[in-house]
Amino acid sequence: MIGSELAAFLESPCSLIVGTVDADGLPDASRAWGVEVLDEHRLRVLLSIQAPVTRRNVEAGGAIALTATHFSTFESVQLKGRASQVEEATPADRIRFERYCAGATRAISESDGTPEELVQRFITADVYVCHMTVDSVYDQTPGRSAGTQLAPEPA
Amino acid sequence: MSAHGAPQLGLSEIAACFEGVIPAEIATASADGVPNVTHLSRVHMIDDERVALSNQFFSKTTRNLAENPHACVVVIDPTTYASYRMMLVYERTERRGPVFERLRRDIDAIAALTGMAGIFKLRSADIYRVLEIEPVPAAVDLADA
Repeated sequence: MIGSELAAFLESPCSLIVGTVDADGLPDASRAWGVEVLDEHRLRVLLSIQAPVTRRNVEAGGAIALTATHFSTFESVQLKGRASQVEEATPADRIRFERYCAGATRAISESDGTPEELVQRFITADVYVCHMTVDSVYDQTPGRSAGTQLAPEPA
Repeated sequence: MSAHGAPQLGLSEIAACFEGVIPAEIATASADGVPNVTHLSRVHMIDDERVALSNQFFSKTTRNLAENPHACVVVIDPTTYASYRMMLVYERTERRGPVFERLRRDIDAIAALTGMAGIFKLRSADIYRVLEIEPVPAAVDLADA
C-alpha cells in the first residue's frame, strides 16, 4: 500500500495535517511533525504534545487521517487508518522532528518568501509518537482526481 | 467559553487569519466516525458568529457534513504565525449571492498567484457557525512564558 515513492514523500519535509474524531463524533484537526514509514501498512507519526484533543483521540485507538502536501506543487495524498499505539518520543524521534522542522521551515520560506524566523514561531514544543495502521490511500492533489482512492485499488 | 456558548476569542480578533495568505486545514467526520482532513484555500469572516469556507474539491468533506455537521478548522495568522483552532457547525451552502461572489474572486486571485488557474474553481460557499475559538500553543509560547 505504501510503496517506496510514497514513503519518500511522507518522510520528506512536506505539510502534514492530521484528522481524528472523538466518541461523540466531534472532528479534530492538528499537525504532524514528521513521519517514519515502518512498512507498507504502518507509520510512526510524530504528533504535538500541545494538541491535547488529538492525543485523547489517538490514545482511544480511534480512526485517524493523515494528509501530506508538497509546499510548492500541492501534490497531496491522504492516508486513512487507525491509531494502534501511542508512546513517548525517543532521541531518534527528536532528531527526526528537528530535521522535519528545519526542512519544512526552509520549504515554506522558499515557497512564499516568509522569513524563516517567522515560520519557526508555529513549531510545537515537543512530540510523541502515534503508530498508525493504514487501511487506504487517496489522491488529494487539487484537480479532478482529488479524492480518488489509490490503494487498495477499488473493486 | 465552551463549545456551547459564545467564543472566548472573537472572529474579529483573528481577522488576519482570513486574508487567505496561508491555507487553512479542515477536519470532518463521517457518521461512522471516519475522519477526513484537507487543506482549505479560503476562510471568509461573514459576521461575528459565522464564516464561509471555499468548497472547491470537497467531495468527502461534503459527504461527511451531510451526515455530521461538525467541523474543526485550524487557521494561521500570516503576520505572527500564531495558529487558532475553531470548532464549527455547518449551516448551509450558497452557490450565488454576495458571499459566493466574494469567495469566487478570492479563489480566482489565489489560483492566479499559485499557478492553479483552471484547477482552483469555487463550487460553493459553505456557511458555518463558530462555536469555539482557541489558540494553538507552540514552542514560542513556552519560551515567552
